[in-house]
Amino acid sequence: MQLTGKTKGVCIVLALLTIVGIGCWVFQLMGGLGITGMSNVNSWGLYICMFMLFVGLSAGGLIVASSAHVFGIESFKTIAKPAVILSTVCICVAAAFILVDLGGVQRIWRLFTGPNFTSPLMWDVCIILIYLIINILDLVWMGKGADDKVRKLSYVALPVAILVHSVTAWIFGLQIARAWYTAIMAPIFVASALDSGLALLLLALMLLDKMGLVKLEDGLVASLAKLLATFIAVDAFFILCEVLTMAYPGAGEAAALSQMFSGATAPFFWFEVVGGLLVPFVILAVAKNREKRGMVALASVLVVLGVAAKRAWLLLTSFIMPNVAGGPGITTGTLSAQTGNATSMWATVGTYAPTIPEVFIAIGVISLGALAFVLLCVKLMGGDSRAAVDEAVQPA
Amino acid sequence: MTKMALVINQERCIGCQACALSCKMSNNVPDGMMWNRVISVDTNHIDGARGTYPNVTREYLPIACQHCEDPACMKVCPTGATYKDASGRVLIDYDKCIGCRMCMAACPYNARVFNWNEPVRQVGFNYGDKDVPVRPRGVMEKCTLCHERCDRGEEPMCVVNCPMRARVYGDLDDPNSEASKAARAADAYVLLPEMGTKPQVHYVK
Repeated sequence: MQLTGKTKGVCIVLALLTIVGIGCWVFQLMGGLGITGMSNVNSWGLYICMFMLFVGLSAGGLIVASSAHVFGIESFKTIAKPAVILSTVCICVAAAFILVDLGGVQRIWRLFTGPNFTSPLMWDVCIILIYLIINILDLVWMGKGADDKVRKLSYVALPVAILVHSVTAWIFGLQIARAWYTAIMAPIFVASALDSGLALLLLALMLLDKMGLVKLEDGLVASLAKLLATFIAVDAFFILCEVLTMAYPGAGEAAALSQMFSGATAPFFWFEVVGGLLVPFVILAVAKNREKRGMVALASVLVVLGVAAKRAWLLLTSFIMPNVAGGPGITTGTLSAQTGNATSMWATVGTYAPTIPEVFIAIGVISLGALAFVLLCVKLMGGDSRAAVDEAVQPA
Repeated sequence: MTKMALVINQERCIGCQACALSCKMSNNVPDGMMWNRVISVDTNHIDGARGTYPNVTREYLPIACQHCEDPACMKVCPTGATYKDASGRVLIDYDKCIGCRMCMAACPYNARVFNWNEPVRQVGFNYGDKDVPVRPRGVMEKCTLCHERCDRGEEPMCVVNCPMRARVYGDLDDPNSEASKAARAADAYVLLPEMGTKPQVHYVK
């Protein structure tokens, strides 16, 4: 295994961030989830946003890799391995975000001794485990060069990948008590997974190309970028369908919509619409831009950030207005309420802002994922590539 | 079948919060949260008024777990920690709760409260009914219809302490119970029937 000096530096920074994150997590385990910005009114926050984001981000890899076989796209085969590594790492990051969000993580074995199969969260546990196993099998068989097994697995992997995003969407979309309750939730999650996942894959491939681990053809970048533009358009269309359906009757969900348009979650909504959908689509719609890696990278970054913003508005808008509203409201149960701050004990609307330890835990989890991705790529593909050996400054 | 429930007469409610506080006391509910609240509907304040002067009204709504027949919280609980007991009450097995908060997102009534922190009590000791279990950090809790009291043949503390006798406790499946009669009245209703959870707690306006 060889790491260049620069890669080593990045790895050290990522490792440090991971350690800080673990430290904050220990702090959270000691004090409870009260160190986060969540409350009885807004009961899910940054962790669940990141969980949704990373489930989606893991899509790009496996879908591109399995499409290579299912739809016989030869050019995708060259990048299948890094794609599946990315997919594996992202789904592990997503699972880690669920773990840090649990208030009673020490009782998690209860999921396996007394599963309740009417719970969408239980469905998600099952499908994510299956998805993870498929990813790992894919990697192992690719490493052994068992092409026929990889091809057969692809036919299972593709529908499972679609299902992972749908089931994650149903955790939210089946809750009639919230504005999440819409049949289009699963299609939106699949579309967001496709565009953000592909965007992250493009970024990762460009990085690996720079590190000399992958030889990325310009033609492949252009064709993936074209696919990305299509996915962005589909995502935008689904969001338009949902927003129009919320707005038109003027009742019920119109209150949630006004929060998205001009209320607390408006910055996230409009950033996604303009920065995450419109701008990257316009960039990628121009054939010349798809030839330039800088432009493709810019569009990809915007798409990932846009989908991250979508997770925020999608999740948090539903927590703002309680169904049964009235003063003094709902008891928040926060640390500040507990320590005698009477004004923070009650809330008539949901508010949320992540706290510093919460943000560090999230950064830590993501850093660990990034570190795992770099190291896995170097380990699993270092031998494949001459360039890696040529560029290595010193052996690790 | 037994379907224990409360029927709350809003016409009789004077918003004194006695039910909310006796619940908190009897069930050892930690600081910063309550299982039972009395809200003034469509206002932002305790004892708030709805409308613009001089056309104002006030509607007190005591609200806690609605002990639904088809509880959304129970359906989404991944470990089966939330369950319905033989008397039709929605209860939580604290040992099974992993603190995922699916139930909190699913409950249309914001009836649940979570132990975000190590629970503390201003007085520095546990209070209330001796049979009520102490809940650890990281688990969900909510109104239990005082099942420890009721299983001994007593009534929920909120019912006992209501000075206006606005709350009636009883079995909806027993056609002759006071609660069942009150719930059948023409002016009886349930909160948010459109959510499909079929609340057993009824209100009379």
